[in-house]
Amino acid sequence: MNSESWLRPYVRTYFGRFLLIIVLGSLTLLTASMLMFTSGFLISKAALRPENILMVYVPIVLVRTFGISRAVIHYVERLVSHDAVLRIVSKMRTRLYQILEPQALFISSRFRTGDVLGVLSDDIEYLQDVYLRTVFPTVVALVMYVFTIVALGSFDIQFALVMALYIFVLVAVLPWVSLLITKTKTKLAKQQRGQLYHKLTDAVLGMSDWVISGRPAQFLSTYEADEREVAHIEGQIKSWGRWRQLIGQCVIGLSVVSMVIWAGQQFADQHISATLIAAFVLVVFPIMDAFMPVSEAIEKIPRYQDSLSRLAEISSGERDSVEVSTLTTAEAQALASEGVDLKVEHASFRYSEQSPWSVQDLTLDIPQGKKIAIIGRSGAGKSTLLKLIEGALAPTSGTVQLSGKEAYQIGDQMPHVISVLNQSPHLFDTTVENNIRLGDREAADEDIRRVVQQVKLDQLIESLPLGYKTHMHETGQRFSGGERQRIALARVLLQNTPVVILDEPTVGLDPSTENELVRTMLDTMQGKTLIWVTHHLVAAEHMDEIIFMDNGAIAMRGTHAELMEKSARYRNLYLLDHPEAYVVE
Amino acid sequence: MDKNLLGYKGIKPVLAIVILLTLVQSASIIMFATWLAEVISALFAGESLHQQYSKIYMFLGAFLVRHIINFIQQKVTYAFAEATGASLRKQLMNKLFELGPRFAKTAGTGNLVTLVLEGVTKFRNYLELIIPRMVGMSILPWVILVYVFMQDITSGIILLVSMPILIVFMILIGLAARKHTERQLDTYRTLSNHFVDSLRGLETLKFLGQSRAHGHSISRVSDRYRSATMRTLRVAFLSSFALDFFTMLSVATVAVGLGLRLVDGNMALVTGLTVLILAPEYFLPVRMVGADFHATLDGKEAGAAMKSIIDEPMQQEAELKGSAKQREAAGVQWTAESKLVLSGVCVQHQVDANPSLNNVSAHIQGMQKIGIIGASGAGKSTLIDVLGGFLQPTAGQFELDGSAVNSLIHEAWRQLTTYIPQQPYLFSSSLADNIRFYSPEASAVEVEQAATAAGLSELVRSLPQGMDEMIGGGGRPLSGGQEQRVALARAFLSERPIMLLDEPTAHLDIETEYELKQTMLSLFNDKLVFLATHRLHWMPDMDKIIVLDHGQVAEVGTHQELIARKGAYYSLITSQMEGVQ
Repeated sequence: MNSESWLRPYVRTYFGRFLLIIVLGSLTLLTASMLMFTSGFLISKAALRPENILMVYVPIVLVRTFGISRAVIHYVERLVSHDAVLRIVSKMRTRLYQILEPQALFISSRFRTGDVLGVLSDDIEYLQDVYLRTVFPTVVALVMYVFTIVALGSFDIQFALVMALYIFVLVAVLPWVSLLITKTKTKLAKQQRGQLYHKLTDAVLGMSDWVISGRPAQFLSTYEADEREVAHIEGQIKSWGRWRQLIGQCVIGLSVVSMVIWAGQQFADQHISATLIAAFVLVVFPIMDAFMPVSEAIEKIPRYQDSLSRLAEISSGERDSVEVSTLTTAEAQALASEGVDLKVEHASFRYSEQSPWSVQDLTLDIPQGKKIAIIGRSGAGKSTLLKLIEGALAPTSGTVQLSGKEAYQIGDQMPHVISVLNQSPHLFDTTVENNIRLGDREAADEDIRRVVQQVKLDQLIESLPLGYKTHMHETGQRFSGGERQRIALARVLLQNTPVVILDEPTVGLDPSTENELVRTMLDTMQGKTLIWVTHHLVAAEHMDEIIFMDNGAIAMRGTHAELMEKSARYRNLYLLDHPEAYVVE
Repeated sequence: MDKNLLGYKGIKPVLAIVILLTLVQSASIIMFATWLAEVISALFAGESLHQQYSKIYMFLGAFLVRHIINFIQQKVTYAFAEATGASLRKQLMNKLFELGPRFAKTAGTGNLVTLVLEGVTKFRNYLELIIPRMVGMSILPWVILVYVFMQDITSGIILLVSMPILIVFMILIGLAARKHTERQLDTYRTLSNHFVDSLRGLETLKFLGQSRAHGHSISRVSDRYRSATMRTLRVAFLSSFALDFFTMLSVATVAVGLGLRLVDGNMALVTGLTVLILAPEYFLPVRMVGADFHATLDGKEAGAAMKSIIDEPMQQEAELKGSAKQREAAGVQWTAESKLVLSGVCVQHQVDANPSLNNVSAHIQGMQKIGIIGASGAGKSTLIDVLGGFLQPTAGQFELDGSAVNSLIHEAWRQLTTYIPQQPYLFSSSLADNIRFYSPEASAVEVEQAATAAGLSELVRSLPQGMDEMIGGGGRPLSGGQEQRVALARAFLSERPIMLLDEPTAHLDIETEYELKQTMLSLFNDKLVFLATHRLHWMPDMDKIIVLDHGQVAEVGTHQELIARKGAYYSLITSQMEGVQ
């Protein structure tokens, strides 16, 4: 998929609107020019002192009409073009969403750094400019070009060709040279700006280290040196911009002079009437001004490249989705209602033939209601195991089955069977109620009250002035990390699935908040299968099995009591998490 | 327009040059209009083209002079804007480092970086635009107007009257547009954020089984956003419509008036043409101001934002008084005999808020391991910031080896300390350079030793480039435990006697934490260590425990002592035990 596919199809879809925009844009320029033309004509005609004022009546009306209509047409043109572009943006957004939706569970692992989603959304905003600032002005200028030459050609073809040459310099030569000169420089400047951005973010994040190391002066001087380099390149681009402007104005000056000479000649040869001399000369200024912005419009092209290639890259990431479910919603609901028997048998997975095994010959038996904890370092294979159970990945060998159905075949019906509470569940910029209702769109108000009560937030929420209608965003600061997790937990409870995956939901909470949350989770999840990935041993005693993973395989497993008895390592680890043990010491 | 503007260094000569150039420019505009009008009316009267050539050249000359002046003006203002922007950035950067990490955290890293990089560019654009626009607006129209009055009083009056009408309408419409936008700001914000909010929440939607259905709401909300935007734009564009409308109407009125007076024979064609050519020039400066309005506004705001950081009150560098002067010459030391006494240290971030630290006193002597514990919000991090010399206490005294100081914000003190936060920051450079950060001159062998001591040898062996492997942003990602080990190696290599650690293991998995603890304890030997944490398992290994509660010191003592006392420490331990059971 190439980058143009983000631009071209919309031209076809909105051809009518685009045409209208071009027509209106041309009319805007035309009326401005015609105002000067008819004004010149009017005063020349008046200078001949016609006996009857009616002789100049028509030009007077025209001058007034053009004077008024330019503003009106321009206003309409801007509205129409913005409307069309916003329509395109809406389409692009939907499209980007549809591309990202199937890969939803892989985005965070594919793009480790930064806020790639925020960047993509900005990219689409930025692509508006392709139309508004590059395509429309350029096409309008070309239309004007053709129109001007044809109009002039009807008087004198030879002179029309001379003028065509002048305008050609403005609409083609200058933009082309401009693009040649600035293309690499713009790219370089942008690249270096990116590096500056990187460097500065680095420095601000690591500021305590700079300060303690006593080396800020050193950083500041290298940073300033880099800034100067970028400023130098940007200065060169600016400098060319000034030259371009000056060259363009020289061309305009010359074309005015040519027009004066031509019109004088034509009048002397009796080809045109005296009244047209002023009209022809005065119209040159507004017409030529219309061509000046083309260079700027063309110069912008390299700046769109990054956005376009990022979007193209995302589109190419579309994987053959494994998620087309072989189950109907009713079948999935039936499966869920009977209790789920989760069996992982000799399952192995690797992302490609070359990569090492992420999960290796793993066997788990988790009947309905069993609670297991999974512990392991980062990279031990926990996330991959979860993806296998969630059905987002199909095992390379072995099976992962939910009551006899392959997990990956359940696909997009999985949310009826398994719900997930992870480290940073997203709370949407809407009301508390709407956020919780995402768990089950059909839920009645009482259901929502019930789950909120279960997660012990009822008092807090009811004490807020807007209660359940409180916006998450407005109170973003007021809801603490623990409270946010509780809202997400309420949502998961409303989803009401037989199996719940807890993917380190308490990381970053302080011990007492964590303990309270853990207690609430255990209380509300009774009877459900619990698969709890955790980074330490809180509530280990409440688990039916504890599994330590290492290199994609199980390194140690057993109940808390068994492990306490037979493993010294486990006892050491347990001690770290249970300070009360020291009291006895 | 902007009161600060005249305060920038070197603006006066620039302003003088621009004013002078603008005066010349207005003369050249009047001349090119007059000469062009004269040429046209001569041709109109039937004079031969040959006689006009000299005037045509004069016209061309005046026309070019006008644009060359533009060129010079832009060059001069750009150079000024560039220099001023750069100096402002320099001040800002220096200030940021003086204010230190605490300020950066409150202001937000992203905000600061954007302000430095984009804010300076915007501000530069602002300066570049505002100077010629301001000068142009205050000279060009009025010189032209005076000349038009000299030519034709009626046209002059039309132009004079339309200017205030135009400006008043623009302002009125601008205000109406702002009101309109403000009224629906909330809906507007929600609608415009909806898309990025949806993308960020995509994973969650997927888990909830709502991601498919949500696709429809994207296009629905986008359409609502479009209608809302269009409603606003309809009003917002009116402002430039008014500008356009009144300019064009005024030019048309001038033209028609000229025509009528020409018919009456009260005027020569050349006068009429001159006025007609000058009429659009009269409006050009105000149109340019209108076109650049938003860019200048942005830049002005960015400038103000930077100024407010630069004017931020400074934390004072501690004064080492009296006998300490000699000490400073010899360099501040921390040895086994050194003593640091904190008495009555308070930190209050806001006047009416509860203090983060309240009357904290402590005696610290020699190479001890000191644990700082307490519930979240008890003031652990604040105390570490005070001890690290990042933060000036609002009240209280320190006594360093007998000499009193009012804070620890001092270069010499910082030279003694290393600091390891919960997530140590790795710079994007090689592993070796990251380890070498506090002591850039360290040899490869020393770096190697530090890496080994911090337990990094296995990692180094597994990396294809070994010590030269790039890490940090854009480089090879390290796990949380490995990051901590790099920070430890850094601290080890620096051989600084004081270590400050703020919650170094809270986010790690328990196996990593266990192994890291062993490494850390071995590195703590013969150092003064302050370890703030809520992981209580560290405490038996500490020589002294400071228990904080709501900013106050609740208890001080060793693990055994405090257990025996059954006070705050004891209840902290037992409360964690109660949690789940």
